[in-house]
Amino acid sequence: MNIFRHLKTGLRELLRRGKTESELNEELNAYVQNAADAKVQAGATPEEAVRSARLEMGGMESVKHQVRAVGWEFALEVFAQDVRYGLRMLLKAPVFTAVAVITIALGIGANTAMFSLVDAILLRPLPYPEPQRLTVAGTHQRGGSGMELISTADFLAWRDHQQCFEQVAVLDRAGTSFALSGMGQPERIPGVRVSANFFSIFAVAPLKGRGFRPEEDRPGTPGVVVISEQFWRDHLGSDPEVLNRTLTLDGKQHTIVGVMPAVFRFPSRRPASMWAIHTLNLPAARPPYGLLALGRLKQGISLRQAEAEFNDIVAQVTAQYPSSAELVGVMMPMKEWMVNDFSTALLVLLVAIALLLLIVIVNVANLLLARATARQSEVALRMALGASRIRVVRQFLTESTVLSLLGGFLGLLLAFAGVRAFLAFGPGQMPRLEEVGINPGVLLFTFAVCVGSGILFGLAPALETSRPSLSDPLKDTNRSSSSGSAHRTHRALLVFEVALALLLMIGSGLLIRSFVRLSGVSPGVETDHVITAAISLPNKYADPPQITQFWQQFLEKVRSLPGVMAVGTTMSLPPNLLAITNPFTVEGQGYDRYRQLQLAEEMLVSPDYFRALGIPLLKGRFFSPSDRVEGEKDPMIVIINETMAKQYFSAKDPIGSRIQTGDADPKSPWETIVGVVGDVKYSGLDSGPGPTIYVPYNENGWVMWSREMYLVVRSTGKATDVVPAIRTQLASMDSAIPLAQIRTMDELLDESLVQQRFRTWLISGFAALALLLSAIGLYALVSYSVSQRTREIGVRVALGAQRSNVLGMVLREGLHLVTFGLLLGLVGAFSATRMMRSLLYSTSATDALSFVATSLTLVVVALLACYIPARRATKVDPIIALRYE
Amino acid sequence: MGEKNAALVQGTLDMLILKTLALEPMHAHGIGLRIEQISRGVFQVNPGSLFPAFKRLERAGWVNSEWRATENNRRAKYYVLTAGGRKQLKSETRDWKTQSVAIARILEA
Repeated sequence: MNIFRHLKTGLRELLRRGKTESELNEELNAYVQNAADAKVQAGATPEEAVRSARLEMGGMESVKHQVRAVGWEFALEVFAQDVRYGLRMLLKAPVFTAVAVITIALGIGANTAMFSLVDAILLRPLPYPEPQRLTVAGTHQRGGSGMELISTADFLAWRDHQQCFEQVAVLDRAGTSFALSGMGQPERIPGVRVSANFFSIFAVAPLKGRGFRPEEDRPGTPGVVVISEQFWRDHLGSDPEVLNRTLTLDGKQHTIVGVMPAVFRFPSRRPASMWAIHTLNLPAARPPYGLLALGRLKQGISLRQAEAEFNDIVAQVTAQYPSSAELVGVMMPMKEWMVNDFSTALLVLLVAIALLLLIVIVNVANLLLARATARQSEVALRMALGASRIRVVRQFLTESTVLSLLGGFLGLLLAFAGVRAFLAFGPGQMPRLEEVGINPGVLLFTFAVCVGSGILFGLAPALETSRPSLSDPLKDTNRSSSSGSAHRTHRALLVFEVALALLLMIGSGLLIRSFVRLSGVSPGVETDHVITAAISLPNKYADPPQITQFWQQFLEKVRSLPGVMAVGTTMSLPPNLLAITNPFTVEGQGYDRYRQLQLAEEMLVSPDYFRALGIPLLKGRFFSPSDRVEGEKDPMIVIINETMAKQYFSAKDPIGSRIQTGDADPKSPWETIVGVVGDVKYSGLDSGPGPTIYVPYNENGWVMWSREMYLVVRSTGKATDVVPAIRTQLASMDSAIPLAQIRTMDELLDESLVQQRFRTWLISGFAALALLLSAIGLYALVSYSVSQRTREIGVRVALGAQRSNVLGMVLREGLHLVTFGLLLGLVGAFSATRMMRSLLYSTSATDALSFVATSLTLVVVALLACYIPARRATKVDPIIALRYE
Repeated sequence: MGEKNAALVQGTLDMLILKTLALEPMHAHGIGLRIEQISRGVFQVNPGSLFPAFKRLERAGWVNSEWRATENNRRAKYYVLTAGGRKQLKSETRDWKTQSVAIARILEA
């Protein structure tokens, strides 16, 4: 109750200041009267009595002030006063204020933008009910690590025998889009196939209709699909009768049974416009491993329990399929699985931005310090008149916090724009980007950063100027040297700033070096004049002969187009569009199932694929159309790459040797190697060399896989010129098939580097900014020092010092600081850059060239920053300087 | 003697004021005078400490104030002890007594 009373009374007094004031006045006057009365009774005259009573009271104003100070509302008034005073002071020095506000805005804006990214991607839980129960499951080989996709056999066993999950489902990772036909131009729509319980795992209510029913993923049931709200609006005109309409996807009819709201976006990195049912067929063999397994844990079940159970089930499946590899089951919370790849990069960026903010704070602190020494006499006067040190410090801190908030507000606007720009132009393939935005949490963060920074950079000047040696500043003569400790703080801050700038520059240098090396890596193909596209045959192409005939005819048609030099098809495109990997066994290796799994990148290609991409033939021959004669059971042939030849056929000639692909099984068909080609990168430019196996697309047992392939065309002229002709040819063969994902090989290379390029640019931007800020800080410090030492310089010149001596003297002071900063920065860099190791390609975290080059750059820039004011020092006219006082 | 008053701990002054008001409501000057009289001149409280103390006590809810006419028919602000104030006085007196007994013991030991 006391608190409320306090608040109530205080508020009342705050609002009726006049009345309170006059009441107090009256009371004090009454007091004086009473005292005077008593004195009159004791014998004094009325005038004497009043005068002596007033004297005894000791100054009405002072008493009033003391009374006012008792209420909490007084502190508020004082605070408001400080804020007004601070604003006035800031407006008095507009240039300084502008520079400071912009500097702060840059630092705080960058931090806010970065924080909103980190918050949305790493910190916040997934936007589904009880997101901590969402789990992803996978397997890896015994003795290996990581989490790979699972097989249908594993999933079916898990689904039927598990007890730990409310729901489990899979997402087929093989397809990322569907060919939509029957609605105008055929086009590819991003979408995935999922099993029946998929939607119930996320527990998001559909906008319309329903998710899938449990029986809908059984073989033989008609196709069903759930579409996204976006697709419903864009392609179906928000038709209210959308349910039970049918769509033709990949040539098969699918009935629309539901519409998911826009908030549901899974998978996150490549958001889907539709989710079609994935039919789970009972598998004959365990591979391929192409399913992403998900589940919602039951209440109270721990991840460890569920993982152990999953592991047991996986072991049972291994027993059921004796020729398959021995696998270990692992699980991970879904959020972790989603953002894992990015946590390092994001955290590094966060640290970089925090460092930048630190530099900004140091710079502004220095600016404030320089300005504060000019206000020394004002402060000394105030303190001599009775202001306590705390009061002065508080006022300075209020002023600097106001400055910081001004900068912070501007910074918020910058952050808003920055986040927009990032979403529009940045690497779009990060998870959870749709959740990024400036929300109350981010605003709170910004506010806290503002206040914190304000206090930090206000502290030094506040403490310095309110030092209790009051008499010196009040005297006139204190111009030739600023207070020693202020200058020392100033210089220490600058050393720190230089060190931080160097740290950022080294980080940037490393990234640049790494990126340059990465983009110089050859993917193993000739990249000019090559255009690629994705073609997917709908389900009506059901037999091998149909498929083979389509491709043969189509390839022939494209081959005979003017402007086309060579055309081929492939399942996987360089540099990073690998479709599948497969284990293999070399003849003579034996079938020990506990042997480490040998995996090769495997793909179907047409005979001219190698020529279209300019992949060199090292031994043997390419595939040729005559290898396959329809109806006959020809021997199976493959082509391998150079690395595989070196690793597995160093002793004997690979040509003519035989391998088996798939799980180790003596009964697998033998495939004969007919050629060796150069290495090509299919898993990213930064991937190491590994075995690659090429299979003719019409090989026995493989044809069904060739329904989805990339077309590769080498043109004589500009690559994009042949696209319309190709489209016409495709349409003439089947008007329902779209030509999708049309990109030149150069574009593909570019795209594969988007993440690294963005990172490198960003950190280099910060480093440049940090360098600029440090240079400005250095310049300010040296100028200030020169202006303080004008008299001294005048004396020196008058005594015979040459210009060069003066120059050297001033430069030395600046370089002294820079050297310290450099050393500090180098030490810091040596320990700090190992954090970045995972982001660097073939570049050590202590790469000598980067360290040396950035240090040299820093020294040169610093020299320049010191030189300009130093030159000014040499122009000091000794007569004027000596007169200056 | 005046200097000693300034050194009177805030809490002690509050207690003395409350005690003075326990007898009857009084205005500022009267309270100061009464404290001086009863303490035989040891404590002379100056207005710079008195008035802030009044505000403190009022904020805490231990006294109320009202304007009345004095003996000389002037207007003055009278302070009245509240029930809560009475309770507070009792507890502070108790604490003070305990403390002074303990201090006396230490000094005589």
